[in-house]
Amino acid sequence: MSCTENPLSPCAMTGACAVLSGFKGLAVVVHGSSGCYYYPKALLKTPLYSTFLLESEIVLGTVDRLKEVVSGLEKAGKPVAVVNTCVPALTGEDLSKAFAPATSSSGAAASGAVFVDAPGYIGDAASGAAAAYKALDIRLNPEIRGVNIDGVLPLDLFARGNLHEAERLLALMQIPSAVTFASDTYAHLKAGAAPFTVSVNPSWDAGVGTSLGSFLFPELKKTAEALEKRFPDAVFDVFFEELSRADEQIFYYADKYLRKYAPPRAAVASGRGYCGFADKMLRRYFGSDAALKLPREEITDYTVISEKLQEYKPDLLLGSSFEAAAVRKTPCAFVGITHPDRSRISMSSSAVSGIEGGISFMERCINALIDVKKGM
Amino acid sequence: MPENISEHIPEKRIGGCTLGGAIAVTSFITDAVTVVHAPKGCAHQVFSMLHALVEEASLPLLLPLISSDMSDREVIFGGEEALSLALDKAAAKNPALIITVSSCVTETIGDDSEKVCRAHPAAEKILSLPTAGFLGGRAEDGENTALLALSNLAETRPPVPKTAAVIGEKNLETEVEENYTEVVRLLSRLGISVTLRFCRNIQAAEIEKLGEASFFIIRDERVFPAGAAIAKRFGRPYVAEFPRGLSGCVTFLRDAGRCARISDEEIERAVQDEEAYQKQMLEPFEEMRGCPVFLGAQLMEGTFDAAREAMERLGIRESPDGTPLQLPFYLPVGVSGMMKMLYLWRRRIRG
Repeated sequence: MSCTENPLSPCAMTGACAVLSGFKGLAVVVHGSSGCYYYPKALLKTPLYSTFLLESEIVLGTVDRLKEVVSGLEKAGKPVAVVNTCVPALTGEDLSKAFAPATSSSGAAASGAVFVDAPGYIGDAASGAAAAYKALDIRLNPEIRGVNIDGVLPLDLFARGNLHEAERLLALMQIPSAVTFASDTYAHLKAGAAPFTVSVNPSWDAGVGTSLGSFLFPELKKTAEALEKRFPDAVFDVFFEELSRADEQIFYYADKYLRKYAPPRAAVASGRGYCGFADKMLRRYFGSDAALKLPREEITDYTVISEKLQEYKPDLLLGSSFEAAAVRKTPCAFVGITHPDRSRISMSSSAVSGIEGGISFMERCINALIDVKKGM
Repeated sequence: MPENISEHIPEKRIGGCTLGGAIAVTSFITDAVTVVHAPKGCAHQVFSMLHALVEEASLPLLLPLISSDMSDREVIFGGEEALSLALDKAAAKNPALIITVSSCVTETIGDDSEKVCRAHPAAEKILSLPTAGFLGGRAEDGENTALLALSNLAETRPPVPKTAAVIGEKNLETEVEENYTEVVRLLSRLGISVTLRFCRNIQAAEIEKLGEASFFIIRDERVFPAGAAIAKRFGRPYVAEFPRGLSGCVTFLRDAGRCARISDEEIERAVQDEEAYQKQMLEPFEEMRGCPVFLGAQLMEGTFDAAREAMERLGIRESPDGTPLQLPFYLPVGVSGMMKMLYLWRRRIRG
């Protein structure tokens, strides 16, 4: 039993919505109150429907209301996914009555609707995302030549940029992109996924197919070698040349920084994937000591995180605006890599993953550090 | 707006949850701690939203929201022990006040939050709000519940002349400081000062000042039930809402002046000064005179009236073939609120 102060992780329902609403053409219905609906709606900025439950419906049963919303969408020809929230999950109603007569063992109703039980009390966004992927019942299609791109979720600030960069790199290698989890069309997903997958952010992986590694910069060489084994006809020369140039370029600017300043003492608060990535990048290019890692999968108590940061006194913080607020009174460079980043307006699709993502990450770190050193 | 808007969703369905409304009040008492008896995702939602607004307004950091972290275990075996632990954690911080809010989950499983609070060693400083998440109503019901319960911490005192307390500012709107500044601007024309913003960045002990304000200014109809009940309890007059648009400023001045027992002559002088000020503020928008415009849908009641009044002052014509303009989804407060809307219109008309 625990009590968290200012918890930093969204609930399971939000995670499930993040996955399902990533598949265009699938109408996602939050079966809960408007209070539950507004948060994922505002956070994800993806289309979401809701039953907007009332207290009276909890007393008398919510099946009719769910049926009303689902059948309305189905009549419009939209496949539907329902995300169940705390109270209707607690009352234990048989919600399958809202769909077609029978529900399959996988949770998919005979009507084709996807049903995800994701009440907030089962855990955080990762639990909900996992439940959603399970309910989607994704099939592999060995006939598909290509690679799935995993770890693309709107809960990641860099989801869109990472996807663009992954698609660019695969195109460079002349390997077709297959299904993107979770940013694709529902029809494409239902046609089946390729047997192999690369990830742009392992913290949000669906885990579908055989993983050939991640496209995070420190892993790129190893992942490309794994791809080379599976796709012997693919082209890798241009990719390796670009990777090598990027490595030299980052060293050049890191060297320039190190001629004037000491290596940064960094703290990273993000998913495990980005924590590991940032730590490896800073160690390789700055020769920094190991960063203080605060993975969201392990720590979501804002007060605990704040105390750790205040004790560690980083001069470079990689995280969200929550952590940035905790070190506001100290001279510390901040680079937003975790949602939410309220330090800047961001409209373009920046990446953390891939070659450009690696360069861009180091560029932002060096610029943020120099701004603080210059007292800007 | 919700995707299934075409379904014509009744307003009662889209009013949010009491938890958010109540915490939007209690979190702005700077020496209080709020305990959220709910799964931690609920506390995160509210914390994240408040954090965004606090950052935007460059306010000091929010105090902790302590979640009782209801999980599968509590759902099955009951969450009262979890609430008690959360209260221990809150009490260890020695706050002036501990406020608990309950969720739809605790309501459904039947936790007796009130009993847990009464039995806690820090019971004297605990205020238990039976909000019950969406089962207790909408966000505004949560706000009203919190405001009413907190107002009970104040006693009636002799009123201090020419003072007002503001009740129920919308802590979740991004323009909250700008709107307050507009109210202060108008009140200063009458020599009235605001002695309490109930509740925005105040200490628990300051709530006492409710009892000595000579009148109250209620933010809007959303918190009117609490505002009117508080005014009745203290036997004080009130202004029912922040000024709506341009003529709303004049009405506001007259209402506030009467509540503060200011002479009619003084009020009329303030009105004349305000009218001259408004004329000056509208000058940058003169270029829109004569332009035909078409107003879009009204997302909040009252915006049509406020917009049409500005159009009349500026000689802007309404026509089905006119430039389509978007009405704000909030009700513009005072002159500054109208100017923000007019800047957007001018950009659209300039093309």
